[in-house]
Amino acid sequence: MNLEEVITKVYEAVMEGDAEAARTAAQIAVNDLKLGEPLRIVREGIQPAMDKIGKDFENGEAFLPNLMLAGDAAIATLEVILPFLQGDETGIRGVVVLGTVYGDMHDIGKNILSAILIANGFKVVDLGVNVQPKEFLEAAEKAGANIIATSTLLSTCLPYQRDLVNLLKDSGKRNKFFVICGGGPVTPEWVGSIHADGYGREAPDAVKVCEQLLSGGFVPPLEKPIVEGALKIG
Amino acid sequence: MYKPEIIEILERTRTGAYCTAKEWDTKRIPLAINRKLKEYGLGKSFDPENPVNCDDALADTFYKAGYELALELGMLCETTERIVKVSEEELSLALRYAPSEIFIGEGQDGRWIRTRTPSDPHPMVFGASMAIMLTEELWPIVTEGIIRELEVDLIEGPSLVTIYGREILTSSPFETLAGYVHAKRNRELRKKAGRPGMGALGITSSTSEFGQFGGYAVPGGFLPSDLSLCLFPSEMKINYSVLNKVVHTLNNDGYVFTGSPAMISGMPGPPEGAVLSAIACSLLQYPVLHASAGGGEIYDVRQLTNVNRAGIWTLSVANQALSRNTHLLTHAIANEVSGPCTESFLWESLVGVATIAASGVAIGAGPRPAGGKLAGYLTPLECRFCAEVAHKASGLARKTVNDIAREIIPRYEADIKNPNVGKPFTEAYDMKTMRPTPEWEAIYRKVKAEAISLGVPLDQY
Repeated sequence: MNLEEVITKVYEAVMEGDAEAARTAAQIAVNDLKLGEPLRIVREGIQPAMDKIGKDFENGEAFLPNLMLAGDAAIATLEVILPFLQGDETGIRGVVVLGTVYGDMHDIGKNILSAILIANGFKVVDLGVNVQPKEFLEAAEKAGANIIATSTLLSTCLPYQRDLVNLLKDSGKRNKFFVICGGGPVTPEWVGSIHADGYGREAPDAVKVCEQLLSGGFVPPLEKPIVEGALKIG
Repeated sequence: MYKPEIIEILERTRTGAYCTAKEWDTKRIPLAINRKLKEYGLGKSFDPENPVNCDDALADTFYKAGYELALELGMLCETTERIVKVSEEELSLALRYAPSEIFIGEGQDGRWIRTRTPSDPHPMVFGASMAIMLTEELWPIVTEGIIRELEVDLIEGPSLVTIYGREILTSSPFETLAGYVHAKRNRELRKKAGRPGMGALGITSSTSEFGQFGGYAVPGGFLPSDLSLCLFPSEMKINYSVLNKVVHTLNNDGYVFTGSPAMISGMPGPPEGAVLSAIACSLLQYPVLHASAGGGEIYDVRQLTNVNRAGIWTLSVANQALSRNTHLLTHAIANEVSGPCTESFLWESLVGVATIAASGVAIGAGPRPAGGKLAGYLTPLECRFCAEVAHKASGLARKTVNDIAREIIPRYEADIKNPNVGKPFTEAYDMKTMRPTPEWEAIYRKVKAEAISLGVPLDQY
């Protein structure tokens, strides 16, 4: 198999959400790589596939399982070729630790965000649901994260988003991680009141916030959160 | 025994086949649904130009496919990562012996909830509101205002943001206390408003089992004659939290009222997939959760509503499938995105509530102004309007409701992602007289007059 065929296989595997096929194709390439070729797998295989699946989701032609499985396939490919990529050749724009806060089992919004972040070149560590503040911190430290993203659909779980910010402050680690918040009852006002760094109403809004946080020369904590997609009030 | 005893269900949460939530969501659900859609030729049956289904054969085919899907899938217990399945005999008997009528509340304020069929002139019962957040100061005012709206049959929301000035924390003693406070105050308000026997639906200030333990079937709290709300995550995933609520309800001889969303563009995929998921889920609630009443909410995860074309179609097909083929006491909600004091809110409600009423739903609930996202954005007037539509649109022909939907949806669908959130209670109501402001009253009258001209037999006053 030549490199073009590998790239096509990776693209198809990501589009079909077949992590095994993606991993196999990447392994073939790894066994016979020339300089510069791993980057082509990222740029011509993974990224266009994730772009397409992201757009298809927005258009109603692909659905959440497609998005999630495509993300898994992209990650499977990257795991194989990452050792052969240098610095920002990985195309990874940042690392986001993501989860639904403690007491809350809702995961749809979090799953959509996870998949769209991956589609937009972020590495995501998804902690799942019912996540305690200290679990977020431990995972962020372990992963070398840039951003911690918390979600909740329950108003009675909002205080746990604040608990995370306070934990970071109290442990002297607030300036290491950006914190963004989202979910049904979450508002820009709430995010500002707990001194978090960003709010996105929907997943694409949250991605924009992540992009701005990492490219704007900011250092956490921000004085005022970056807000995308807020409902117009008044 | 005609359905698995609850202890048997609990046992199956420990002995059923293993499955992670991720495998369930990304493999089992979508693959099973896709297969069923292909097997029955149901893919591409969504007709955006005719959002309210009028095709009985289509609804019946969806029912058959959904019934088989229920048997094939079962429900996943997330807590133990085991699948709880039921046999065909268990499912069939649970459905056969499910109640076709229950009485909620007490005395003259109580309501019969009865089986309905599409276009059934017997009115759909309506519970208001969704759990919109309100301060401790406003909560009793708005709750009492809703109770005083005589069209509203059952009292549900709103929810308290704090109790005694403290935040309510999920899965904590704060929530247990909040459940009791909510239930006790809610009952006192029903008495104060002259409807002491009005039925209640859910302890909305505390959504976990701790809130229910605190407020349901305790002295001064909710009674077993109230509906015990036992919601669970989307696509047939249960957990020990909802099972705790179910067991607690059954321990108190109460009515288990279940519900779970089927997500368009989520795990079931297209609208057709969400229909199948909603049907299967609704059916499984009876043998697995011992439901007295329940249903599948529909929600479009891309547009965050169900009053768009895909949502209305999915609501209509799923609920017609169930009401034409069972005697179950089904439940559905219209999820508005616009807020109080807007025309668009009333149009969204008209289309959504009329659709579920004309599709044979037994219990409707709402409203959810501003998508439920903004604290304080709820007034009794929209609860009144939704209840009026629930009662008066019940007997409409589905074709009439479809014509209304075709006329009205274009007025708001372009703004669904950026809706007009309207005004909070404090700006939409005169706090002294507890009446809508002239502005809100005028909007209500205008929309009502036009709804009447479109064929909805609302009372003029």
